Amino acid sequence: MTSYNEKARCEYLVDVKAFLKKVSEAPGVSGFEYRTVAPIIQEFMAPLVDEIRTDALGNLIGFKRGEAGRRNPKVMLAGHMDEVGLIVTKIDDRGFLRFTDMGGVDPRILPGHEVVVHGKMPLRGIVGVKPPHVMTADEMSKTYKMEDLFIDVGLPAEKVRELVSVGDLVTYHRQFTELMGDLVAGKSFDDRAGVAVILVALEELRKYRYTADVYAVATTQEEAGLRGATVSSYGIFPDVAIAIDVCQGDTPGVPEWRTQSVGKGPALCVGGNIHPKVYEGLTKAAADLGISVQQEVAPGPTGTDAWAMQMAREGVATGLISIPLRYMHTSVETLSVGDIEKAGKILARFIASVDAGFVEGLTKWI
Amino acid sequence: MTEEMFQLIKGATEAFGPSGSEEPIREFIEARVKDYVDEVRTDALGNLICIKRGPADGKKVLLDAHMDEIGLIVTHIDDKGFLRFSNIGGVNPYIALGERVYFANGTTGVVGIEKIDDPKEVKLEKLFIDIGAKDKAEAESRVRVGDMAAFQRHAERMGSRIVSKAMDDRIGCVVVMETLRRTKSPRHTIYAVFAVQEEVGLRGARVAAFGIEPDVGIAVDVTRTGDTPKGITMDVCLGKGAAIKVKDSSLICHPGLRKYLERLAAERNIPYQLEVLEAGGTDSGAIQMTKAGVPAAVISVPCRYIHTPSEVVDENDVEACINLLVAAVESPLDF
Repeated sequence: MTSYNEKARCEYLVDVKAFLKKVSEAPGVSGFEYRTVAPIIQEFMAPLVDEIRTDALGNLIGFKRGEAGRRNPKVMLAGHMDEVGLIVTKIDDRGFLRFTDMGGVDPRILPGHEVVVHGKMPLRGIVGVKPPHVMTADEMSKTYKMEDLFIDVGLPAEKVRELVSVGDLVTYHRQFTELMGDLVAGKSFDDRAGVAVILVALEELRKYRYTADVYAVATTQEEAGLRGATVSSYGIFPDVAIAIDVCQGDTPGVPEWRTQSVGKGPALCVGGNIHPKVYEGLTKAAADLGISVQQEVAPGPTGTDAWAMQMAREGVATGLISIPLRYMHTSVETLSVGDIEKAGKILARFIASVDAGFVEGLTKWI
Repeated sequence: MTEEMFQLIKGATEAFGPSGSEEPIREFIEARVKDYVDEVRTDALGNLICIKRGPADGKKVLLDAHMDEIGLIVTHIDDKGFLRFSNIGGVNPYIALGERVYFANGTTGVVGIEKIDDPKEVKLEKLFIDIGAKDKAEAESRVRVGDMAAFQRHAERMGSRIVSKAMDDRIGCVVVMETLRRTKSPRHTIYAVFAVQEEVGLRGARVAAFGIEPDVGIAVDVTRTGDTPKGITMDVCLGKGAAIKVKDSSLICHPGLRKYLERLAAERNIPYQLEVLEAGGTDSGAIQMTKAGVPAAVISVPCRYIHTPSEVVDENDVEACINLLVAAVESPLDF
């Protein structure tokens, strides 16, 4: 039932690189995405949807109505807009900040890192360490733990206390960098790259006629336990839900079977967390477009919003598209812009293929 | 603190109620709050839900404190009448060893250990409860497999501090009970949930919130402190006021609601401190995730030695928590 409408083709509203640069550099640790990241996404998403709203957990929900059909299926797209980061737990007597992580941050990557402390105003800080000269032999042979580390913002304790409170967030200070080819590096591509895919898909949808009502959700608190997707999927209760997240890119020292190649197209996930017919539909959409994809296998829960959405209410048919990404949860996450564009195109074509008949077929798992 | 208030805390902490066996503490609370609320009911999991009605244009505000405590559960009674047990919630074997415990029917027991050669061998499976029975038949006449036991301790005052078992979270129950008593004109309809089974996975609060569908949720629970010798790295101290939670492992508190509580405390000169708890969860984690999501926050009572029979709080912190919670239900909550 899908028809490609040439006349609807027009200039791209979404410049993927420009969007990625803007959202990547914005601070938005889980639970605090609403401050700076959500408004940027809203600005990009608004022209592509009919309505936009937020819910009690801060999820940004764009709604794009499909053409009136026998029964308009509800399709939910989820890309999480939060990022991993740090949170201040204590300000010590000399003004050094102690912290813990929000989401999974490896303490070994932090020493020497530049950070921004989001106090009454953004404060530049560095994660300080004990120099090798004053370490004992025992300390030299061990790696850092979170509790050994501290942030120095360069101010005396009383001034720090004026500007910083316990509970203030800390993000990596990192500029978006274009590497050679179409690879880019920066922080928080996990998973603002997924949001970029959603924007491309909304844009691409303009080329199609379709009956699905699309709920494009930039979810919150994924890194804290899929919390935004849990409540937004309960509220929307879609017929089909697709998470767009990142997967491990090819990296030296990591076995090939655990990774997907960066730049060789998005990965489509299979496993118990994924409805076989949704996987099939995404695979067909990619084949129809002549876009090559990779395959990701998840034997158990995927650890993405797809898990929360599958478990919503009576259960939801879910799919997962992943963008291969190197150095996950660091400030130099690296991916291919082309993979994002390809994923968006596949997603749009899939959405256009979802009609009442497709949804009726979902009541049988195979 | 008045003697009356101390007696309330003493009664609440000394009442029996490990997770899933909350009847005695539920009766204790119900008897003392029923005159201050419009409706009282108990749900399928045993949550005590007390409704105090406010004006029609108010919100539905869920106040939560869990009434269960950690404890032990009998898994096997041997031929000599010794009881083997498992834990209900986070029970440390080093702390359980040598404790005196009691069952709902008043049976007293002591926790003993098999012969060990190294203190590292202190594990729950090496421990047993001796209730003074001479054989299996005598033991079974007093205790059955599946019965639960709680630590046996009395509440005492130590200067401005109070020590007792089960401060986690009976002190939260006292804060909510006092809030119901002291709130003369609520701006909102209050659903006070004295929740069951928090220590085994926030189970009571999850179903209570699903049934109530609140507009706002505020839980009162204890939190750890960083003020003891070579303790954890944490800013919260005993005696520095109500702790307003920023996050723990179960939730990131709604920033708007959290800051609203901070402003309320500042305006009314209620001492408060901000809390980031690295390990541990609270009922608000479940409340927040209810249906399509609920803005949720936590007011914490700073408490030392949590999950031991000697949990210590400061009476001024308790007062601050009550004052803040009363202020919250009497304010517009238009965060």
